[in-house]
Amino acid sequence: MEIARIHFWEINTVWLFYVLAGLTVVIFLIGLFFHASIWLAGLKRDKFNFSTAGVINLLKDGLLGKRIFKGDLTAGLMHIFIMWGFIGLFVGTVLSTTDYWLIHFLSGDIYLIFSFCLEILGLMLIVGLFMALIRRYIAKVSRLNNTSQDLWILILLLASVLTGFLVEGIRLAVQRPEWGGYSFAGLIFSSLLSSKDQATTLYPFMWWLHALISLGLVAYFPFSKLFHSLAAPFNIYLAPQPAPVISTEDRLSEELEFPFRDMIDFSACTNCGRCNEVCPSTSAMEPFSPREFIAQANEYTKLKFNPLNRIKWFRERLIKAISEEPKISPEQIWYCTTCRACLEVCPVYIGAFEPIRRVRIAEIEEGSRVPSLLIQSLETLYKYNNPWESSKKKRGEWPGVLDVPDLTKGAQANLCYFVGCTTSIDTRAQDLARAFVKIMTHAGINFGTLGQKETCCGDIARRVGEDGLFEEQMEKTLDLFAKHGIIEVVTSSPHCFNAFGNDYPGYQDLKTPEERLTFRVRHYTQLLEELMDRGLIKPVKSLDLKVTYHDPCYLGRYNHIYEGPRRIIRSIPGLELVEMAHFGPDSLCCGGGGGRMWEELEDEQKLSEVRIREAADTGASVMVTACPYCLIMLEDALKTADLEDRLRVMDLNELLTEALGLGDDEE
Amino acid sequence: MDIIVCAKNVPDVAEADLNISDKGTDIDKEDLVFGINDWDNYAIEEAVLLKEKYGGTVTAITVGNEDDEEVLRRCLAMGADRAIRIEADDISRFDSFVISKILSRVVKDLQFDLIFTGVLAEDDYYGMVGMMMAEELNINHANMITALEIEDGKARTTSELEGGLGEVSLIELPALLTIQTGINEPRYVSILGIRKAAKKELKTIELPDLGISDEELSPRTIIEEAFLPPETEGAEILAGDPDKISSDLIEILKKKGVME
Repeated sequence: MEIARIHFWEINTVWLFYVLAGLTVVIFLIGLFFHASIWLAGLKRDKFNFSTAGVINLLKDGLLGKRIFKGDLTAGLMHIFIMWGFIGLFVGTVLSTTDYWLIHFLSGDIYLIFSFCLEILGLMLIVGLFMALIRRYIAKVSRLNNTSQDLWILILLLASVLTGFLVEGIRLAVQRPEWGGYSFAGLIFSSLLSSKDQATTLYPFMWWLHALISLGLVAYFPFSKLFHSLAAPFNIYLAPQPAPVISTEDRLSEELEFPFRDMIDFSACTNCGRCNEVCPSTSAMEPFSPREFIAQANEYTKLKFNPLNRIKWFRERLIKAISEEPKISPEQIWYCTTCRACLEVCPVYIGAFEPIRRVRIAEIEEGSRVPSLLIQSLETLYKYNNPWESSKKKRGEWPGVLDVPDLTKGAQANLCYFVGCTTSIDTRAQDLARAFVKIMTHAGINFGTLGQKETCCGDIARRVGEDGLFEEQMEKTLDLFAKHGIIEVVTSSPHCFNAFGNDYPGYQDLKTPEERLTFRVRHYTQLLEELMDRGLIKPVKSLDLKVTYHDPCYLGRYNHIYEGPRRIIRSIPGLELVEMAHFGPDSLCCGGGGGRMWEELEDEQKLSEVRIREAADTGASVMVTACPYCLIMLEDALKTADLEDRLRVMDLNELLTEALGLGDDEE
Repeated sequence: MDIIVCAKNVPDVAEADLNISDKGTDIDKEDLVFGINDWDNYAIEEAVLLKEKYGGTVTAITVGNEDDEEVLRRCLAMGADRAIRIEADDISRFDSFVISKILSRVVKDLQFDLIFTGVLAEDDYYGMVGMMMAEELNINHANMITALEIEDGKARTTSELEGGLGEVSLIELPALLTIQTGINEPRYVSILGIRKAAKKELKTIELPDLGISDEELSPRTIIEEAFLPPETEGAEILAGDPDKISSDLIEILKKKGVME
């Protein structure tokens, strides 16, 4: 007897197997076609460029599943076992088919190694599957919501690999080859059988069972959550590429739909629920869940872009199903603070806030379901260039007694301090601006503001999906910058900073080179850090305080600035910096972003109260932040949560002015 | 159901610092921000809601200059089918009587079941155009409508009376209704919506083409003088930071015996 792979041992009706296999492949391909045609419906304006960062992502987060390990080691191991067990056995089947049809190479030592590897992979798969079953049905991991397919897929996979081992075991029981030890797992099963005859009778039955289960899995694959293994690599690869910018001009002639990458996101979601765990809105029991939203969007696209819609009979029914009952419920979308926490934890890089913004765009255009306070704020923004105040004059009043050079009134300076709407107008946030001005003056920095003429960067409009208004505000701002020759900007708000740094460039790219205006933008924490490094500011006054730092979403997760503000805080003598339960990339949103500052929603819980309690739990007496929204939201929460005796909320500038001894002359 | 909505472009004066113009008979509107009269915003929304329910057309009309077209574009974006502007470079020379004459003349040639105007306009607060139009056109009318339903070709309306009372009437069409704020929740009008509505019909009619006599175009109300409220005794403006203002205020309230 040759040491080699044995094909179709004791199986006579091989043709039947090939007929069934052919059928399976057809069903599988139909499934692929179904997904591909939905994706392609979104490809119109999206691009698919080559990127090295994308390839690195693929290796790291695709093949190694790095993100799955984050905060959940068992989930990571479970996934690695199942994924590599599955891929390995699949490759094994492909090699075996090659051996049978093309080149016979599975013999001798190669066969023995092959055989041994398959044993290991099969066992890995079994271990992974048991881990999954335990997590879902015994340990009952809270973020996992079990649907019927979750159970079915695990059982089918388990049945497939177990019958595989059984088939092998029965054959070994009859053949008893000397090299059986390489198939050690199968051998365990063979020992279960008492006689050769029993084994020979049982074999064809078991073989067909194994074949049918395995073929069934392949056919079911594209229609189940298993499809994530084909979809996820695409969005893991696309993650580092910026999403395409579609201008209002272009949208005049085009119906708005989700772009390519969003469609892939929807197919790639595995329902793991990590987004729900970190979503500040879901955690505060608001009627919003990123996972639910993605599932709804998936339902919607499956109906709207179903390839069957090419046939009138289906089209009429499927489209009708959408119009009768909107798959994506429109009320929920206003709860998202766009804090980006979901993207931070998603193993396959789905950020629910991106497709949510696209639904917002549609809702803003439809108009009748927009929260009324938001309507008011947007109309104020349209008329007065700020979302707060029905007056343009009040914008210039924040300096009070301070002397602040006005670039629109002839002051000369390289650096433009862009104060921003909220910091200019809100009485609490104005403290930030005055403190920052004092520090800059102390450091001898030559700067100026745009005074009363300052515009809105447009962030609020963009976040809530009013892109037309965003573009108007952006053009006004760029015109103002051009008029006063501004090439260097520092902002109070991480939101303006992000709009200038991350939203504007995409629109600039749509313009001709002559029309483009380039300027450098920094957040004030970056400038402070530079001033500190250059020795222009030296915190000398010792502050005997225990402080904690709240990472603003648009500074941290959006722009990866975590360490700078902490360095500044630590440079203050006598001060102790402690961290909250959530910090850095895991920071918890104050609840003011994404337009939430200008909405009054039903069932609104105070996201900021959740956060302020975390700060109080550290035992710190000061909570420092670096964003006017955070400052306002958290200061309010301080009062409503009744923590005023225990804690103070301060902007980093305010803390620093105290340490520089600049705060005293204020009163 | 064919509905005509009369709308006006008005300056936002709620929080503005007002000055008297050089002529002394009006406020200076140079630096003011304009937008649709709030009551008219509810009127157009109500018309579009009825159209969405019963079909038909909505036509928006205004008397004014090219800048005032913004109001019509907004109405078109909200769902009006077409718009008409009667060219008039300075409407402040007209009073409610003249405006109602002009609008009635234009409306007479149009097909309609209902005409909506706002109860009044934010700039002059006269609240007369609607009623005068109904008289001029000799059709039924009802004022201060806070609820409206259509029943067998008739309008069931609720008018707001003093003291929170409501008056329900069944009115034969065609009719003119002046719409009160709060009857609905006007939708948001996006920039994209306005730009998309640019394709819709917006017709301009020259005033002389309407053949209205000079007699009818001469205002019945003449403003002789406009002035800011005179400064009187007894007012004190508190200054300082919020802490100081609030403690000063408490001090005053205590002194006057309002607070213990």
